[in-house]
Amino acid sequence: MTDKETQMITEKRVDIQVNGQACEITVPAWRTLLEVLRELGHKEVKCGCEKGDCGACAVLLDGKVVDSCLTLAWNAAGRSVTTVQGLGGPDNAHPLQTAFIEHGSAQCGYCTPGMIMAAKALLDDIPEPSLKDIKRGLSGNLCRCTGYTRIFSAIQAAAETLRQQETTS
Amino acid sequence: MNRIESPAAGTANLQLRQVGKPLVRTDSPTKVYGTAVYAGDLTMPGMLCAAVLHSDRASALLRHVDTSRAEALAGVHCVLTAADLPPSQGVMTDMPGQTGGLTKNTKQPILAKDRVRFCGEPIALVAAENAAIAEQALRLIDIEYEDLDGIYDPFDALAPGAPIIFGDDNVVASYKVRKGDIEKGFAEADFIVENTFTTQYQEQAFLEPEAALAWVDEHEVLNIRSSTQVVEHYRAVADAIGLPHNRVRLRAEFVGGGFGGKEVMTIEVWLALLALASRRPVQLVQPRERSFLSHGPRHPFTMTHRTGVSGDGKITALQIKLTSDAGAYAKLSPYILLYATVGATGPYRVDNLHIDSVSAATNNLPACAFRGFGTMQANLACEGQMEEIAKLLGMDSMEVRRRNFIHTGDANVTGQIIRSAVWSDQCATQALATLGERPTDTQTTRIGHGVACYQQSYGRIRWMKDSSEAWVGVEMDGTVIVRSAVTDIGAGQSSALAQITGEILGVPMDQVVVYFGDGAVTPLAGTSTASRALYMSGNATKMAASQVRKNLLSCVAGYFGVKIEQLDMCDSQVFIIDDPQRSIALKDCVKLCAAEGVHRHNLAIFRAPTSEGIDPETGQGEVFPDFTYGAHAAQVAVDIETGEVKVLKSIGAHDVGQAINLRAVEGQVEGSALMGQGFALCEELILKQGRLQTGSLSEYLIPTSEDVPEIKAIVLESRSGLGPFGAKGIGEPVYAPVAASIANAVADAIGVHIFELPITPEKVIKALREKESTK
Amino acid sequence: MLPPFELLEPHSLDQALKMLATSESVPLAGGTNLLPDLRARGEAGGRFISLAALDQLHGIEHSDSRVLMGARTTLSDILHDPLMPTAAPSLVSMAKVFAGSMVRNAATVAGNICYGSPSADVVPPLLSLDAELTLASAAGERTLSLNDFLLDYKKTARRPDELLISVAWAPPTTATANLFYKLGRRRGDAITVVGVAVTITIENGNCTKARIALGSVAPTVFRAQEAEEALVGGPLTATTIGTAAQAAAQASRPIDDIRASADYRRHAVHMLVRRLLTEAWQTAGSQHD
Ligand SMILES: Cc1cc2nc3c(=O)[nH]c(=O)nc-3n(C[C@H](O)[C@H](O)[C@H](O)COP(=O)(O)OP(=O)(O)OC[C@H]3O[C@@H](n4cnc5c(N)ncnc54)[C@H](O)[C@@H]3O)c2cc1C
Ligand code: FES
Ligand code: FES
Repeated sequence: MTDKETQMITEKRVDIQVNGQACEITVPAWRTLLEVLRELGHKEVKCGCEKGDCGACAVLLDGKVVDSCLTLAWNAAGRSVTTVQGLGGPDNAHPLQTAFIEHGSAQCGYCTPGMIMAAKALLDDIPEPSLKDIKRGLSGNLCRCTGYTRIFSAIQAAAETLRQQETTS
Repeated sequence: MNRIESPAAGTANLQLRQVGKPLVRTDSPTKVYGTAVYAGDLTMPGMLCAAVLHSDRASALLRHVDTSRAEALAGVHCVLTAADLPPSQGVMTDMPGQTGGLTKNTKQPILAKDRVRFCGEPIALVAAENAAIAEQALRLIDIEYEDLDGIYDPFDALAPGAPIIFGDDNVVASYKVRKGDIEKGFAEADFIVENTFTTQYQEQAFLEPEAALAWVDEHEVLNIRSSTQVVEHYRAVADAIGLPHNRVRLRAEFVGGGFGGKEVMTIEVWLALLALASRRPVQLVQPRERSFLSHGPRHPFTMTHRTGVSGDGKITALQIKLTSDAGAYAKLSPYILLYATVGATGPYRVDNLHIDSVSAATNNLPACAFRGFGTMQANLACEGQMEEIAKLLGMDSMEVRRRNFIHTGDANVTGQIIRSAVWSDQCATQALATLGERPTDTQTTRIGHGVACYQQSYGRIRWMKDSSEAWVGVEMDGTVIVRSAVTDIGAGQSSALAQITGEILGVPMDQVVVYFGDGAVTPLAGTSTASRALYMSGNATKMAASQVRKNLLSCVAGYFGVKIEQLDMCDSQVFIIDDPQRSIALKDCVKLCAAEGVHRHNLAIFRAPTSEGIDPETGQGEVFPDFTYGAHAAQVAVDIETGEVKVLKSIGAHDVGQAINLRAVEGQVEGSALMGQGFALCEELILKQGRLQTGSLSEYLIPTSEDVPEIKAIVLESRSGLGPFGAKGIGEPVYAPVAASIANAVADAIGVHIFELPITPEKVIKALREKESTK
Repeated sequence: MLPPFELLEPHSLDQALKMLATSESVPLAGGTNLLPDLRARGEAGGRFISLAALDQLHGIEHSDSRVLMGARTTLSDILHDPLMPTAAPSLVSMAKVFAGSMVRNAATVAGNICYGSPSADVVPPLLSLDAELTLASAAGERTLSLNDFLLDYKKTARRPDELLISVAWAPPTTATANLFYKLGRRRGDAITVVGVAVTITIENGNCTKARIALGSVAPTVFRAQEAEEALVGGPLTATTIGTAAQAAAQASRPIDDIRASADYRRHAVHMLVRRLLTEAWQTAGSQHD
């Protein structure tokens, strides 16, 4: 291999769809998706550990839930990212969000954005999850406030709502 | 400013329409939609990023700190060490926010000078263009240490001839309680039971690490927006850096979990210094590993109980020795030790009592406030001892408890008469009953049931002379504003004020806006600590709202020609109770008031009961405003081959006085069930020669979703508390009995008590082996 | 924050192998081991080769006699593969208790094996299934057993210019039980304190083949071969199981660390091996009753 080929490419333009919106950012290889998203203003993506232990930074990458702190921005190039804000808001709340509000599943709220994204991935995967499935699906998302129980019940309620929406549509 | 003597004034004819109901908290939507702002989310033009260099030695002289290479790095704006600091050379780490006297004057260096006393002590601060440069700068700071002998065990620290870390004798604080005649009590005893219990360091592990932003504004006011439980830190910041108090403004954002870890000042003073030095906005977000070093974990305690009991299970004498490891600086250790001392007999009446408690300095991490604040450690020993007594007597442990429970009207450890309801028995009985039938043991698993009761104070120590202010006002369109500097740390602190105000002024709580957590523009509320936020700010808010109600109703009474008592407020209407058709919209009522020049707002202050301290020789005196009582019960399955413990059911039953938001109360019980389970089973900060071995969330293990048992909250309401509508404080109390109930359940399952937390599989196996060998 | 490093992004296996051959570089798969390590080290430098675009390394193929799993198979892929519960029951049990969903979506089988950690959870199940690895370099391919691949603490037989490209094993027959248990300090997302996988084949009431693989109790995941030998040739009785469990514990060389003592680990090996063997005997044995 020639010197030229191995020459360090320090920066690269990365195109990412974030919540349906095209974004481009030029970053070096060592920047994480978490850093890039927050730099782009997506402060709803939280940081609790920067190494995969807490799940606060979870987002969907092409529909799969990942820890954005363990995802290099380069690896997200050309792919689409969904954060909790992309899931819905006050005017178009996702059933998971409605259920989290109604069940009181957020206390300090810091784990909530990541928790909801993990829950979304879980329901995409298993539309009628058992309690066991829910526990397994969330084991990478730490919550220190709630004891998780209201998070479980919100997910069960949201699953039910989604099922009903399915049958009526 | 109006002062209302009784919080009940003006609300005599109030029926509860919102209070006590499980309503949606006002802060829920923003958190769920991801729009809630936390301190680390803030940005400002020209903002610099900070980083902190923490010592990697536990006990050493700082021979030389050379920052020249760091300063020379492009993009670095300033590097500060102790040499650059103002002469005050210290920040107050005493009970924050207090206005009363009798402080312990526990100053701690802002940055280490000449000597480091614990591994993790801050040495230098950097502000740079971005976080990467700041990190790089840290690596360019050259430090020359000269290691000194360290002390890593509180008993070594107290031994004669030990090297001195603190004061003259390494004693950070000590208390004595002398009550009744202990000799006589032991003489009367049929049995004497003695056991020693130990607890470990516990890390708060809030999900949001410390974060703050500071800048100097156009009025030369130093602004800090922070993730803190205490906006009153602005005073300590000002004192530490030599500014007048009115030139520091501290605002608390939504806090991503505090649990006591954001009670004593953490990073605010560092940012203040950097902002002043760089004249730029500076933000610090601590990486998780440094967060572990930036606040104090729960104190490890060693607790010996020597209990004299009569054959029928009555405690005749009790001698208790408590020793806590304060670490290298005092922080709140003296107060935490006091809480442990007052809580040492749990919810039991003991007439012949000796307590000697001491907190010793070591070169370990300085420990500090954590939900439960010493009481929960002390309670663990007390409740473990109850089981051991029962075992010895062959009695049911609940029966032993019943024979000793403290009752309303009895004097507690310090001779304070308990005035509110004591529903320990009801709570424990209900919690245990809710566990239901025991599943049957299998060849390799043993099922155990355990219960623990507690007594935990709420509200500040009386000689802190605690008060809280709140402002409530109605706008011309009938919408309502609350202003309170209470911090919102996740338990629904601001939402509760909306709910209380909505109740009293008859508006839906989600239409009340609460401006909170601003040390400059919202009336000071004190801290969100000591389970006091709802008690204190709830009362102040209720008082202010009640006065506004009174003012509004007096105008309407004149308008309709009826008496105030004939009126009520609901759904943003004022109406005549007996003739609801005759009503007036709140907004019109406000216009009426405005036209008559009647105040549509009120600033109220609520003062907690005060006292002047305790007798140093006997420990007698009034220490706290009041106490909460309740119980937790647990069902566990212990794998007797591997020692693994699985919690199957976890039930909290508590007399909360009056639930303000039922769902929020249940949420506190559920959260504490799992946090207490972590303390009982898997959480442990391990230090080796003062160096943290478990300094990240992959080594320090808090319970995950897979660890969740069936959790249930049982809420009882005696309406006997000192809070609004008879509420008691609950944030810490609901946590106090959890670990003890699990420890007791494990003991029940395997027939032998494990006196040392956490109960790891390894300790279970060891205990079983010892039991086997003594057979 | 990660320190600066260089990342090469080959588009084909050939290109990747060429890069590995000519430049000092390290493969980067899911990054769930490498990125936390880099962050902890904090020092700039190093060159990585991203395996993200190498489609050749994806996919799981099942045939009657062989399961072939691409090196970039993730833990989630294992859970989602409909045939895996019969092709490798222990691997599925393992994947269920491996990290959390986000890490399961990123973590690869190759990364787990090549990192060489004694607590690598993917390894005991595969070791108990006599898995074989195919490694490729610019010079060609070679195949060796997983057992031979694991040398010592974070030391494997991989040459720096090689990539692990696939893992293969023969699916267990109906007469075979294949079990896994992970003991950790909490139930979700925890580093393994003791990991045990067993594969037991029972034919005509006799144990004809036994594999016992142990994680986190030696510098590398290993097979307790003496224990295996104690089982083969007859029915599994309380005595033979006890002997094997004892032998497995004796073969362990655990250390004391923040999670557990060596002593406890040895005890847990004894208990868990006994338990899994008993269960294996009951399940595999019952196929013949
Ligand atoms: C929060 C968290 C939880 C975890 N939980 C677990 C757990 O429960 N059990 C467990 O075992 N592990 C766990 N891990 C560790 C890690 O996820 C696994 O080891 C994972 O399988 C590594 O795969 P990777 O693709 O991410 O590897 P990488 O980090 O990309 O690489 C790991 C190593 O393998 C090498 N490598 C990768 N692919 C190849 C290849 N094709 N050929 C040659 N070399 C290669 C790399 O060079 C590197 O040395 C956890 C990690 C985190 C962050
Ligand atoms: S910040 Fe990504 S997992 Fe914790
Ligand atoms: S709500 Fe605070 S961490 Fe989950």
